[in-house]
Amino acid sequence: MHAALPLQAERLFIGFEPVTSSLVCAVLGIATHGLRIHGWEIETRKRSILKSSTIDEWEQKLPTSHLPEMVFGENSLVLKHVKSGTKIHFNAFDALRGWKQEALPPVEVPAAAKWKFRSKPSEQVILDYDYTFTTPYCGSETIEIDKDENGEVHEENCNLKWEDCQEKIDLVALASKEPILFYDEVVLYEDELADNGVSLLTVKVRVMPSSWFLLLRFWLRVDGVLIRLRDTRMHCVFGGTANPIILRETCWRESTFQALTAQGYPFDSAAYSDPTIISQKLPIVLHKTQKLTVSA
Amino acid sequence: MSDLDRQIEQLKKCEPLKESEVKALCLKAMEILVEESNVQRVDAPVTICGDIHGQFYDMKELFKVGGDCPKTNYLFLGDFVDRGFYSVETFLLLLALKVSYILLLQMLIQKIGNVRYPDRITLIRGNHESRQITQVYGFYDECLRKYGSVNVWRYCTDIFDYLSLSALIENKIFSVHGGLSPAISTLDQIRTIDRKQEVPHDGAMCDLLWSDPEDIVDGWGLSPRGAGFLFGGSVVTSFNHSNNIDYICRAHQLVMEGYKWMFGNQIVTVWSAPNYCYRCGNVAAILELDENLNKQFRVFDAAPQESRGAPAKKPPPDYFL
Repeated sequence: MHAALPLQAERLFIGFEPVTSSLVCAVLGIATHGLRIHGWEIETRKRSILKSSTIDEWEQKLPTSHLPEMVFGENSLVLKHVKSGTKIHFNAFDALRGWKQEALPPVEVPAAAKWKFRSKPSEQVILDYDYTFTTPYCGSETIEIDKDENGEVHEENCNLKWEDCQEKIDLVALASKEPILFYDEVVLYEDELADNGVSLLTVKVRVMPSSWFLLLRFWLRVDGVLIRLRDTRMHCVFGGTANPIILRETCWRESTFQALTAQGYPFDSAAYSDPTIISQKLPIVLHKTQKLTVSA
Repeated sequence: MSDLDRQIEQLKKCEPLKESEVKALCLKAMEILVEESNVQRVDAPVTICGDIHGQFYDMKELFKVGGDCPKTNYLFLGDFVDRGFYSVETFLLLLALKVSYILLLQMLIQKIGNVRYPDRITLIRGNHESRQITQVYGFYDECLRKYGSVNVWRYCTDIFDYLSLSALIENKIFSVHGGLSPAISTLDQIRTIDRKQEVPHDGAMCDLLWSDPEDIVDGWGLSPRGAGFLFGGSVVTSFNHSNNIDYICRAHQLVMEGYKWMFGNQIVTVWSAPNYCYRCGNVAAILELDENLNKQFRVFDAAPQESRGAPAKKPPPDYFL
């Protein structure tokens, strides 16, 4: 019966109001999960890594000759404010566009020092793209402008008006063990740096009766060289007003292995496998808090 | 049933061996591997497999698709360990299968005279078969967790030093984990490498286990990491030509479709870890060559969830901040 429904219907939302039971909705084999709460539709989608043919298309579109080894190109997290049509979403393509724009110079691994003295082949091309896939990405924004008579939704990319602010995300409130109504973690891309560490972009979301909260995290470890952590947190407290407020906190941290060992921390990479544990050891290089008032 | 046969049955159920059994198995394996050439000769028919990475239950799928060893003759291109949950069981099962077959052969040879019998399972070294890499990417921790000491890791990594570096199938197909090296233009140059050591950070042995083919260079390229060679189409053409090789078969890089030809069918990547790291959703492949070297790729999926001991797919809710 379901098979006859249009694609739109496959995205089944479980309304929190008034239903509070099951929250899982993998319908027709599509790994889509989500819920509707206080005027928000929150949805995650998880698929396989991209096929070689799609990789080729992305390489042309970006354009680039190199992409991460594992691009979860169809994975996403979408948070849509239904009334205003404002959509905050997270996807690998936009994140990689950010990587292309930032275009950091490559980081040399420890073995590079030795390689400088190696006899070289007579003709050698040195590749110089940022193989760490470091991105300043902090989410994508679109706004639904109208629906045509066929019911198709038109969207346009936009820059929402985020304003710098003094407020902080209320971590105390978030630490309280309120029930989690919806939780998911979505990988956007990952690269093993040819066994020289890890580069990983993920977004986690949790929805409680009083708010939604998400963490977009770029995590990089170049073994023996560098650790980089770029976190973006967003928090939206459900209130009585029609115009919800989202707080966004961006925090970039970075340290070399050399600096870490100088402070007495271990040198060996196995000690740095969990970014949450080591985050406090890394000095902050950028921090800002911004606020968005979602209005119709 | 011999001790070794019993151990193989146990490993096939993904149950680890006792530390003393691992030690004895590794000693026997060392005696066998030390005799192997750096370019190990392999007869067809043979089935070539790429990276496994401790995905034990997926390797069982591989054997379902490719047939049991020793009925099927196998060549594994390395990266048995790290990343997956069952590196110990995966590597020891392959090693035990090899040792048991060779012991059987030696018994036969004693009875019926000195006839050359080919091996039925050839294991060559991948870049993960190294002390340094396994300490970062899982195998070391797994040994420590499962045995409470690092002795098993020591026995296994000592064996890694004896694994051959490459294979040559019917003098026509060159097989290696990573790829080519600017320091190597002939197979004889590989034969002269002293391989019984930890994988070095540079030089020919390092390149064979680490390098990658690269579309955007024609000759040699240097990785932006400052270490690691990339080789283009013309390098492969001249290597194949001067060594009278039809093509190169290698592993080392994840391919969503399980295998990938490059440079006009002069080199193929074979990847045998389906749903890599339990989340990529890729298929895996093995390459079957018949006695006339006709090729057939067999593509397979990961083992179904219910048949494996892997943790549930869905992460538990987490009060992350």
